Amino acid sequence: MRIGDSLPEWHVEATPTFVISTALATRDFQDVHHDRDLAIQRGSKDIFINILTTTGLVQRYVTDWAGPEALVRQVNIRLGAPCYAYDTLKFFGQVIEREEQDLTIEVVGRTDHGDHVTGTVKIEVPA
Amino acid sequence: MIDVEKEAARIAEQGESAPRLARDPVNLPMINNWLEAIGDQHPGYTEVAPPAMVQVWTMAGLHGQRTLDDPLGAMMKILDEAGFTSVVATNSDQTYHRYLKVGEHVSVTTSLEDVTGPKKTALGEGWFVTTRSTWYVGDEPVAEMRFRVLKFRPAEKPAPRPEVPKAQAIRPAINRDTEYFWEGCRNEELRIQRCGGCGLLRHPPGPMCPECGATKPKYLVSDGRGVVYSYVVHHHPQVPGKQTPFVIALVELDEGVRMLGELEGEPSIGLPVEVVFTKVDEELTMPSWRPRADR
Amino acid sequence: MNAAIAGIGATDFSKDSGRSELQLAAEAARAALDDAGLEPSDVDGLVSFTMDTNAEIAVARELGIPELTFFSRVHYGGGAACATVQQAAMAVETGMAKVVVCYRAFNERSGHRFGQVQTAAAANIDNSWSYPMGLGTPAAMVAMFARRYMHEYGATSEDFGRIAVVDRKHAATNPHAWFHNRPITLDDHQASRWISEPLRLLDCCQETDGGVALVVTSAERARDLPNKPAHVKAATQGSGADQFTMTSYYRDDLTRLPEMGVVARGLWERSGIGPSDVDVAVLYDHFTPFVLVQLEELGFCGRGEAKDFVASGALELDGSLPLNPHGGQLGEAYLHGMNGIAEAVRQVRGTAVNQVANVEHVLVTAGTGVPTSGLVLGQSP
Ligand SMILES: [Zn+2]
Repeated sequence: MRIGDSLPEWHVEATPTFVISTALATRDFQDVHHDRDLAIQRGSKDIFINILTTTGLVQRYVTDWAGPEALVRQVNIRLGAPCYAYDTLKFFGQVIEREEQDLTIEVVGRTDHGDHVTGTVKIEVPA
Repeated sequence: MIDVEKEAARIAEQGESAPRLARDPVNLPMINNWLEAIGDQHPGYTEVAPPAMVQVWTMAGLHGQRTLDDPLGAMMKILDEAGFTSVVATNSDQTYHRYLKVGEHVSVTTSLEDVTGPKKTALGEGWFVTTRSTWYVGDEPVAEMRFRVLKFRPAEKPAPRPEVPKAQAIRPAINRDTEYFWEGCRNEELRIQRCGGCGLLRHPPGPMCPECGATKPKYLVSDGRGVVYSYVVHHHPQVPGKQTPFVIALVELDEGVRMLGELEGEPSIGLPVEVVFTKVDEELTMPSWRPRADR
Repeated sequence: MNAAIAGIGATDFSKDSGRSELQLAAEAARAALDDAGLEPSDVDGLVSFTMDTNAEIAVARELGIPELTFFSRVHYGGGAACATVQQAAMAVETGMAKVVVCYRAFNERSGHRFGQVQTAAAANIDNSWSYPMGLGTPAAMVAMFARRYMHEYGATSEDFGRIAVVDRKHAATNPHAWFHNRPITLDDHQASRWISEPLRLLDCCQETDGGVALVVTSAERARDLPNKPAHVKAATQGSGADQFTMTSYYRDDLTRLPEMGVVARGLWERSGIGPSDVDVAVLYDHFTPFVLVQLEELGFCGRGEAKDFVASGALELDGSLPLNPHGGQLGEAYLHGMNGIAEAVRQVRGTAVNQVANVEHVLVTAGTGVPTSGLVLGQSP
């Protein structure tokens, strides 16, 4: 794991089931995450993924790559275009800093509408 | 008229809200629901919770109500009253001091860190509201989050493309030799340097004609029509004032010179395009390209 | 020419050197002098890039060089690399100096990164026709040429990728390379993300912290020094008609690098050798497409034929024109071309890790897309 290493690209299919089950599993009951009619009424194209799920996906993307021994210390994300039901959310990542066992990974999650999430994850890996 | 800044200062002064206890202690059923939904097969979450779950424990729930001393709720109310009725989250920065163990019961406090605005954004004019939450187990802080939302007044009609923040855009250097070009753009004229001696058309321009040596450059006003000679679709890194990905095209104008500019739409070599002018501010108008309707 | 490279030196190549650029320059220069068997007190000339932040007098102070009779800088970014040796060789030939050190050192990864948009560079009038329009990185500027090249000659992203694959293959067996033990496949290249279409991440060189220095002296003096001299058979600079820095978009033909054509003509004329006499080519590879164009400008193949030349395997270590045996700037490190000159010296000496057999002549080129330079180094003057 060196600076410049790329994480394998990862695709998440944001099916309605995925959007809703993750919203509920993160205890986010806002209607825009599970009720399509209300979401559209509020000006959205469809229901969309909630922030806590985005945070969880970013964490998973990094730990899937870094392995279960890695400890997650920080997840900093900037939110962009919503990830709607039926979107494919594509994750890209790269190691941008390393200081001994502390790594910083830059992560981008993108749909056809643009960057859904950009951010950095700091992890600590075993020596 | 509501003084948003004064109200923000009042709320910030109140400091941390009272600790709010999670409904349940950290527990395996909720962890497993989360792992299932996210699809995470990490084998390590049998005695500790995924760190990204920290906020989940203290979510208000299906019939949740904001507590009276919740600074984010208070600030949202003020901005609603000030006419900034829509909200969108922009940043979440979470730091985990340690992993939470099953059985631990967390509580959370929140304080208002910063309110800045009003700012013009792609969505409309609005205020950025930043809060800081801290999760505790007993007296021990175990995680923190800086959370930022944009509370905005929706633009009349959502722009198809977010407006470029002016302060960000890269501005051209302009000198005696190139001033005529930028003056032309301000007047929505695409000017091409024309030698006062021999008539040579030249872009980019210069003070002395390489053909005849004359130093009396004039210009003609181009029809602003041409075809794409080459192009790039730029993805990385970010470019100040632009939203990636975007297209930059090298256009061969009908008058025979080439010129760079951003291209709106699907690019291809040979695509007929025409110039459009975008006013950045009083001093600067930028030329760019769009596909021709008559192509 | 009556000049030779008698010493080479480098720091480690890293992403965060943890030391100042001046320290990197001083360390590289001292290493090069040790390699040459010379002392700082023997040095009377220093040459670097105008982009280098280390003043000649600062380097002289750190090394304890007492007096300088020659100091000079070369413009245009990586285009300066081989021209530093040209400056040094001219100084030695004309007697302006006896021992000249050429150096380049920077914290290009941990400090000022060239790959980012340099807003300050927009203050240059030439850049006012590109930066404000959103074309503000070297990768994007090269991509504009690459797109047209693909259009005219039917080259593909895979044709560019083969350059990255061969560089990384060579780097994989070079312990000094950043990408030691990390070769890539063409599939890896095709899967890497877009930077500026048609360029992908793996078409772009690294960003590196480090320093490289070279010691140039007369052929006679070099003969008495410990290492086998790498004779400077030719060293030339080149700039073409209607030349810009990275954005020469206003010439008739965008598929060429006329400035490299000028360099090539000069190199073959002055060295008396031709393309078929080159045993190893160290070609500047900050972005893969320009390696193809260089092969054409230097006369190794015809216009538009580089893709076939590359696909034939010619650039492998056992091919007809082994390319960048150290791994180049895509594989070893990005030191603005100076690490490539050091590799050329090792190939002439016979001490490279990926040594090519029976090397008589090595060709080196400097930065592309900018006014540039080149070298032919050889076993004899
Ligand atoms: Zn004229």
